[in-house]
Amino acid sequence: MSTFGDWINKRFPARELMREHMTEYYAPKNFNILYYAGSLLLLMIFLQLLSGFLLMSHYVATSQDAFNSVQGIMYDTKWGWLIRYMHVDGVSLIFILLYAHILRGLLYGSYREPRELLWIIGYVIYIMMMGEAFFGYVLPFGNLSYWAGQVITSIVHAIPFIGPQLATLARGGPGIGTATLQRFLALHVVLWFLIIAALIVMHVMALHQVGSNNPDGIDIKKHKGPNGVPLDGIPFHPYYTVKDLFGVGVWLTIFAAIILYAPTMHGIFLEKNTFFRANPMVSLPDVTPPWYLAPYYAMLRAIPNKYLGIGVMGLAIILPFFLPWLDRNPVRSSRYRPWYRAMIIIMGITFLVLAWVGEQPPLPKYFLIERLGAAIYIGFYLLLPIISSIEPTRAVPERVTK
Amino acid sequence: MAKTVGDMTSKPDLGRRRFLTAATSVVGVAVIGAAVVPMVESLEPTAAETASASTTVNLAPIEPGMQLTVPWQKKPVIIVNRTPELLATLAEVATQGRLKDPDCAVPQQPPYCKNVYRSRKPQWLVMVRICTHLCCIPHYRPEKASVTPWWLGGFHCPCHGSMYDVSGRVLKGSPAPHNMAIPEYDFDKDGTSITITDMYPKAHVC
Amino acid sequence: MRKVWIGLLAAILFAGNVGLAHAQTLAAPKYVFNKATVMKGALLFADHCSACHSIHSLRYERLETDLGMPKAQIIKSIMLSSSANFLKGMRPTMTRTDAKTWFGIAPPDLSHIVRAQGQRWIYTYLTSFYQDPKRPSGWNNRLVPEVAMPNVLAPWGGIYSKDGKVLHKGRLSPGAYRREVADIVAFLRYASDPSYFKRHELAPYVLGVLILLSLLAYLLKRNYWRDVHD
Repeated sequence: MSTFGDWINKRFPARELMREHMTEYYAPKNFNILYYAGSLLLLMIFLQLLSGFLLMSHYVATSQDAFNSVQGIMYDTKWGWLIRYMHVDGVSLIFILLYAHILRGLLYGSYREPRELLWIIGYVIYIMMMGEAFFGYVLPFGNLSYWAGQVITSIVHAIPFIGPQLATLARGGPGIGTATLQRFLALHVVLWFLIIAALIVMHVMALHQVGSNNPDGIDIKKHKGPNGVPLDGIPFHPYYTVKDLFGVGVWLTIFAAIILYAPTMHGIFLEKNTFFRANPMVSLPDVTPPWYLAPYYAMLRAIPNKYLGIGVMGLAIILPFFLPWLDRNPVRSSRYRPWYRAMIIIMGITFLVLAWVGEQPPLPKYFLIERLGAAIYIGFYLLLPIISSIEPTRAVPERVTK
Repeated sequence: MAKTVGDMTSKPDLGRRRFLTAATSVVGVAVIGAAVVPMVESLEPTAAETASASTTVNLAPIEPGMQLTVPWQKKPVIIVNRTPELLATLAEVATQGRLKDPDCAVPQQPPYCKNVYRSRKPQWLVMVRICTHLCCIPHYRPEKASVTPWWLGGFHCPCHGSMYDVSGRVLKGSPAPHNMAIPEYDFDKDGTSITITDMYPKAHVC
Repeated sequence: MRKVWIGLLAAILFAGNVGLAHAQTLAAPKYVFNKATVMKGALLFADHCSACHSIHSLRYERLETDLGMPKAQIIKSIMLSSSANFLKGMRPTMTRTDAKTWFGIAPPDLSHIVRAQGQRWIYTYLTSFYQDPKRPSGWNNRLVPEVAMPNVLAPWGGIYSKDGKVLHKGRLSPGAYRREVADIVAFLRYASDPSYFKRHELAPYVLGVLILLSLLAYLLKRNYWRDVHD
């Protein structure tokens, strides 16, 4: 190698890192389409950082000017519409990818031993992302932002013992105002974001420690060639880098098409009520969360009791942490576990239905769907220890299938 | 690099691989370049900045001999309603040979102000009130002998003593190198107000 | 904190009521959304609406840069307010305090009205006025009962009773009138989403280049993965 390269590598382990994480990181060769989500998430989070920096260059975090400064970005800043739509639509696309990534983990048993920590770190990132999205959601200070801030801090208020103090700390005053905007901005762009970034690094490190799972859920390290390389493994670089590059191309095409043709996605990615200025005196025609939080909102509404409702929602959010220990079947992948596969499909559809019903006006006719949905979603986790220990399994192959 | 994938019975087409790598890289770099342009441009002054860049000033309240200083693009701009007596000093100070640049040869003003009055209309001086030496704000001293015994009226800088006549032309013996800068401005139709629009690009403020 | 929840509950109930009040189906305006209809709508807006309504976010110059409307025409036909500045937002000719004394409330700014309410809502609202002598303005609206705004378009669209009977014919035929209202809606739609035309002009090029990139990356990937599949 060049002398310049040697000079660098004596002082910084560039070659070693490249080898360890790219050219000599052996990934199973049977990844399918769901495996694009991880690298695309990295790309999208980088783009959020970029567009977020540009937005913050124009944003004013006061209750008086926040709305105007965001509209100023849309009307008066060169390409301002582009950076704001990138940021807004980016959120929805990140959550689509997160759900695909989590579904992949569920389908192929990627949370199972030895990947428990990988799963837990990933799930913490998902929960942190919900917080990040919420803080960002309040910043434009449309009327939806205001009421979203009001509702979520009220949920904080309901936490036993410390709730009221915590809610006051979150708001920085009697209501949602300049103090709230400034601390939410600081959280959104500094503390929360840095924690997420650090967790992502930990997530990748944990992944490279244990190695990637695959759709067959089998361990490729069991069958190694004479050179010590798994027979079913291929170097991440160049094979998965070129594959992911193709994924990036297609994904960017979809992203650009959304920004250019349907930036608000008919009110799903950017809601109508964000175009009204925040007004504490005028509540919204309907208070619904963004689509990616709607399933939890539906579960919150399913129980006509404040504390029980929040408890059910909290349970739904917390249960996936225990998934590595709730699943007791020796087989990982749902490919060889028909019952488990059926459960995931039912739970996935339930989650989508909950997302839909969470967006509907809170009318009694939806109560049954909300309660049934909450029961099925929570039931998945509670029944898993029993079903997984009695379910029949198919023969698991020794080597990965194509 | 790719020796780990078992035996390679068929050699890959490396020429095609090199071509595709180059083509993908070129298009990829083009996409990144095309994305960077709007991102950098988004940091340029916004339409709101441009709209507030020009300032309109009503001249009616400025009495003869008096001045008004207004903020414009974060800079003080002085508007002086010069009396015929003050205007007469302009010729006198030139004949005494006290000016560094009596004919305004250095383009410190738009072409339409390149005259002894350094203005569109002799009566009204519109000038960036910043000393060309080190950016202080000079005092307006219209009274005779108010700075030195031979003082005819003009501007005197409190920081380092630069002196200017009532057209903002710098006097010899001042540390300031140039006459003070004149921005671009227009009178409205009936002449009762002026709109200061842009900085004259060739002028040095300080 | 209980107050917030009660307020929220009230909001939810209120929302339910509004939902019922909206039982009137919203009619879609029929128009082709292009620069010509938007410019026609801008002239109509200046004539009929800009006396009271501002479009604070939209600068007059945008009509030139986005739509290609001649500056002279903008100054003559659109910038009717005496304090209008070509580089600044669209202003009403009437002052806010005057408007407040005449109508009881200041007429709202219409910058984001289509994004906030939807174009069907605006169109239906504008075509739902009826005569109501009980109201101070003499007008009422089926979509927004007790609205403060008078039916300024009545001379063109005609005067209707609550049950839809024509009391007084307008200057325009019903078809021509509906087209004019649709043009105003088109202009307001542009005003709340002024990047529309630029986005649609850019889209084919951006997507073309990205599809090319995807295609090349796919060929590259296939070339490399021959190693794996053999």
